[in-house]
Amino acid sequence: MGLNPLEHKGIPVEDQVRSWSDLNPQPYDKHAVDPYTRTRVILMNGIEVESILFSHQFARHTDDVDLKQKLALSRRIEAQQQKVVNGLNPGDQTPLETTIGYEQVAVDLTAWLARHEPNPYLHQALDFALLEDFDHLYRYANLYELLDGGNATELTEHLTEITPGRPTIVEHRHPSDDVRGHFETHTVDPLSRLHVMTIVAAEQQTMNFYMNHGTDWIEPIARGLYAEIALIEEQHVTHYESLLDPLDSWMKMLVFHELDEIYLYWSMLQQEQDSRIRSIWEEHLDMEIGQLHVACDLLRRYEGVEPEEIVPAELPDTPVTFEPNKDYVRSVLAEQIQLQADGLEFVPVDDLPKSHRYFAYQAKVNAGGAPSEQVIDANRDKSGREFRDETEGEHPVVDLRDPVSARR
Amino acid sequence: MATTTPTLTPTFATGATAKPGDVVRVDPRRERPGDQVAPGLAEVGLNHGFVGDVLSAMLTHERCGRHLYRSVATRTNNPVLRRKYEEFGGETERHATILEDLVTQLGGDPQYVSPAARAVEGNDSRLLEATYLLAGSVDVMTQEMVMLDAVLLAESMDHANWTTLAQLTESLPEGPVRASFAAAVGDVLGEEEDHLSWARDTKARLTVMQASSKAMATTATKVEEMVDTVRGWLST
Repeated sequence: MGLNPLEHKGIPVEDQVRSWSDLNPQPYDKHAVDPYTRTRVILMNGIEVESILFSHQFARHTDDVDLKQKLALSRRIEAQQQKVVNGLNPGDQTPLETTIGYEQVAVDLTAWLARHEPNPYLHQALDFALLEDFDHLYRYANLYELLDGGNATELTEHLTEITPGRPTIVEHRHPSDDVRGHFETHTVDPLSRLHVMTIVAAEQQTMNFYMNHGTDWIEPIARGLYAEIALIEEQHVTHYESLLDPLDSWMKMLVFHELDEIYLYWSMLQQEQDSRIRSIWEEHLDMEIGQLHVACDLLRRYEGVEPEEIVPAELPDTPVTFEPNKDYVRSVLAEQIQLQADGLEFVPVDDLPKSHRYFAYQAKVNAGGAPSEQVIDANRDKSGREFRDETEGEHPVVDLRDPVSARR
Repeated sequence: MATTTPTLTPTFATGATAKPGDVVRVDPRRERPGDQVAPGLAEVGLNHGFVGDVLSAMLTHERCGRHLYRSVATRTNNPVLRRKYEEFGGETERHATILEDLVTQLGGDPQYVSPAARAVEGNDSRLLEATYLLAGSVDVMTQEMVMLDAVLLAESMDHANWTTLAQLTESLPEGPVRASFAAAVGDVLGEEEDHLSWARDTKARLTVMQASSKAMATTATKVEEMVDTVRGWLST
């Protein structure tokens, strides 16, 4: 049975304010942490950031003081939660190491969501961007070796393969081709709604992280790669946020945000082996339930909607799980590497006419070469080969097999 | 007389269905093609897909109306208005049930949300949002009028919907379909006329009353005083 959050009281919001010491947790040990604990921390930080940004946007659309004050209180709590979650990242984990964690999130979260997504269009949207994030992991792993002499598998622990996906250089699309259709809010499976809200928050956080950390380096190759991939993440936010039905009111969206946070903290709780971090997921779950009740009271008072009308009787009983998705990713690589977008649809790139805006945009942005290609070339020059971690055999796409290995 | 509880928000759990489109990507398990919207209407020569979509939009307006009445009944400071909002809210819920029954009699699906219904919900939810998102800009008295205006606007559309349905009924050949339409219209239209005339008359009455009153909402007026003033409206 899945969780019915309306049956639980949670922690009342007014009791959720924490002290500075509570907000400054002991970080995990980057050498000992389970890679999927790192990904859980990254994901839940992104989820909290989205809840804060959403609440700010909502507050900017009202001058009702009571409503603004209630939003402000819940938002302050969300902001405290974000500090606790993000504070688990250790200071000796470099931005590039964190970046590799972000891409491991992107790969194994997206693949898991796609595997469990019932709506074929949403499933296709997840598969489409999966191959692009998968490629980013490979590019950053090569940058890590090139700049720091680092081995990305010490971070991923071989749970996620590192090898080319849809090459980043071909991911740059005209903005009109990143807009998608959306689910229908009445008919959408609650699981699908949660999937979309989760991936929007995760990709938005990735976009924000690259937007702000791209200038942490002196080396032009690193700055260029971050700029290039940050723009793909912006494409992905456009792509995923399009999937949400804009019919929902601000108040309903507030309730759905709280529901998603509950579902995800509950999910993280099911898997976490680190007891200290597990207790954070547990506490935050109870806090989110308290925040949901506030949102439901607002929905009832201001919109006359009983929460039971829109809150599912129980949340999905399958937790969002970080686990290897190697076979799935390989199958998507083999079958969909050639896909591109044409308006709202996904089509083989060979079906696009030569006059398509995709090619004009590609010519413009790639005119001086692409950092995502230059980083591989530079690492080949330095290391004698590019960095890959193909645990399941050679690449499923012949054209993307390692040229050095292929010659052997 | 309909007595069952209607669905006020169709969802996946209630069995909602919708028509897919270029932008709206409906879960295939919940797709309802146009020719399945209200097949019973084909036998009387109507464009059944169109009329089915219109009935869905009407039903959505009643559902949204129920939410509006609940909301304003909760937030009004005036006991007379609250009683009226509760009374009309109950009747509006009954109208939703009557429309659900009519759609079912026509072989349609009351859980179907047509594209037109989505547009109606967009209008209605923004109308309701307008009664609270900008509440900080207005004083207590004006806030009452904002909520009453929302009711008047919603009832104007509601009345137009049922008047249209009455005209459509007259164009139908004698038979069970016409009988179903006529029964629904006969049951509801009188109440819709009451709702609209009450909202129109009450708006006029409260406006005239405030216009001729010395009590004015100024920055110096305490909220408690204004609430007391509002409470006294319509008491005689």
